[in-house]
Amino acid sequence: MINTHPVTAEFNTPMLVKGSDLIQIVVADDDAMQRQFTSAIVRRMGYDPIEVVDGDAALNAIVKTRARILICDINMPGLDGMALTRQIRKMKLLHYIHIVMVTGRDGTDDRRLALEAGVDDFMTKPFDASMMKVRIRAAARLIAHEDALSDQYRILEVAKDRIESDLRAAAQAQRRLLPLGDGNVLTCRFHSAFVPSTIVSGDMFSYFPLDRNRIGFYAVDVAGHGIHAALLSVAIGHLVTSDYFLLHSFDANGKPDPAAMVRGLNERFVRDGCDEYFTMFCGILDQSTDCLTFCQAGYPSPFLVSRTGECEMIGAGGYPVGLFGELDYENGLATLTIGDLLFLYSDGGVEAESLGKEPFGEDRLKAILLQSAVEGADHIPETVIAALSDWRSGVALDDDLTILVLERGNLS
Amino acid sequence: MIKTSLNPDGICIVEPQFERLTAANADSFKTEILALIENGQTRFVINFAGVSMVDSSGIGALVGLLKKVGNRGEIAISALSDNATQIFRITRMDRIFRIFPNSEKAVLSMGV
Repeated sequence: MINTHPVTAEFNTPMLVKGSDLIQIVVADDDAMQRQFTSAIVRRMGYDPIEVVDGDAALNAIVKTRARILICDINMPGLDGMALTRQIRKMKLLHYIHIVMVTGRDGTDDRRLALEAGVDDFMTKPFDASMMKVRIRAAARLIAHEDALSDQYRILEVAKDRIESDLRAAAQAQRRLLPLGDGNVLTCRFHSAFVPSTIVSGDMFSYFPLDRNRIGFYAVDVAGHGIHAALLSVAIGHLVTSDYFLLHSFDANGKPDPAAMVRGLNERFVRDGCDEYFTMFCGILDQSTDCLTFCQAGYPSPFLVSRTGECEMIGAGGYPVGLFGELDYENGLATLTIGDLLFLYSDGGVEAESLGKEPFGEDRLKAILLQSAVEGADHIPETVIAALSDWRSGVALDDDLTILVLERGNLS
Repeated sequence: MIKTSLNPDGICIVEPQFERLTAANADSFKTEILALIENGQTRFVINFAGVSMVDSSGIGALVGLLKKVGNRGEIAISALSDNATQIFRITRMDRIFRIFPNSEKAVLSMGV
């Protein structure tokens, strides 16, 4: 049954897809009259109809053409409208297919089932041209919207690629700030690992000779991670050099005073209305006296492992840098004799959680440290990282990780 | 993400509804309490019972709130886990914040 209302000429400008291709519409109906009527309207609206006589042919057309809309009769030989819809919804197609189903007048149950199967819209027989036009226009509007979204998505993808490539360049620049070479400074050897949780890291460390007998070193962990934290960590890396140590971390009598340097950094980095801050551990080791003078500013207490295998944590804590002005920082003292190790780690190490949400913790870290120290200090960073990776069942760390081992060597 | 209740003395008791205060949620936690401060709330007890971990970003958020409240009010902290207590000790935040074993004691300390 077809309605013979004349097809009028007041059609809207057809919507185009990708470039200037017309939207293709598959018209599936075994009734030739009905099919031709629908096709005529589609064509008059400026779209491109593909006529097929049954469900199987419709499915074939959907797969082989770039059709975006399907107008199909509910009753067709072979694959009927409902089965056709289910098949289409099961397939992985490049586009969403808008399905308009033609049902009988009293098809309430049919409609519920069709909606469940994945149909988008209905037309009741007998239908007229104007009813069909509004439905095709509605589907075309959605297609235009989908295309606009996918264009935006592509633009975002390009932007994301560019940002990531910039970040990788930034990460390289950041790594260049880390100490070069084999880690030998005077009679000591440093072993380290630097593992960003995102591409760049909020951690930073360095070590350098200060004069014939003294070595300066520090490790910093900016709160948070990602780009924000990395920018500050790089700023610190540029600022805190051996010259900076020489200038700021000795008192008037030439005695090591790293707390004075941290006090200065705190005044420099504290800012109103800004919660950005970092934790730091910095030290000066005098190899002629075995004396380590250090300042701990909220950074985890390092482990000091003696040559004989005894292990203690040093430092009673201290304020982080940049939270409040005019804070007092203290110097701590420790003795580091030949063969001793100092093991520094950022909190990403002990806070690393297993799948069961259990943090790795200091005790496990200490056990791994003592075990790997026996095999040689140079193995420590990689052994700790492997243990953390096992603990996390291979899942990447949430926070940046730094491991810095100072191995006190022989004076001769 | 937080539950709040107001006691008769006008002290706002904040109960975080998460297990960890970290970089992942510190910002939104702070924003929620900032909204309370904007609405004129000045005295807070943040009860960390049920929160197992507070990381450096969490500390940053708490300090930000403390600065925002400033001299007009106070923030007390209660029921820190062992893990969090350790972080507060190492960063000396136990000297910046008043810390109590539970929210009742924190409220008592604030008086009327």
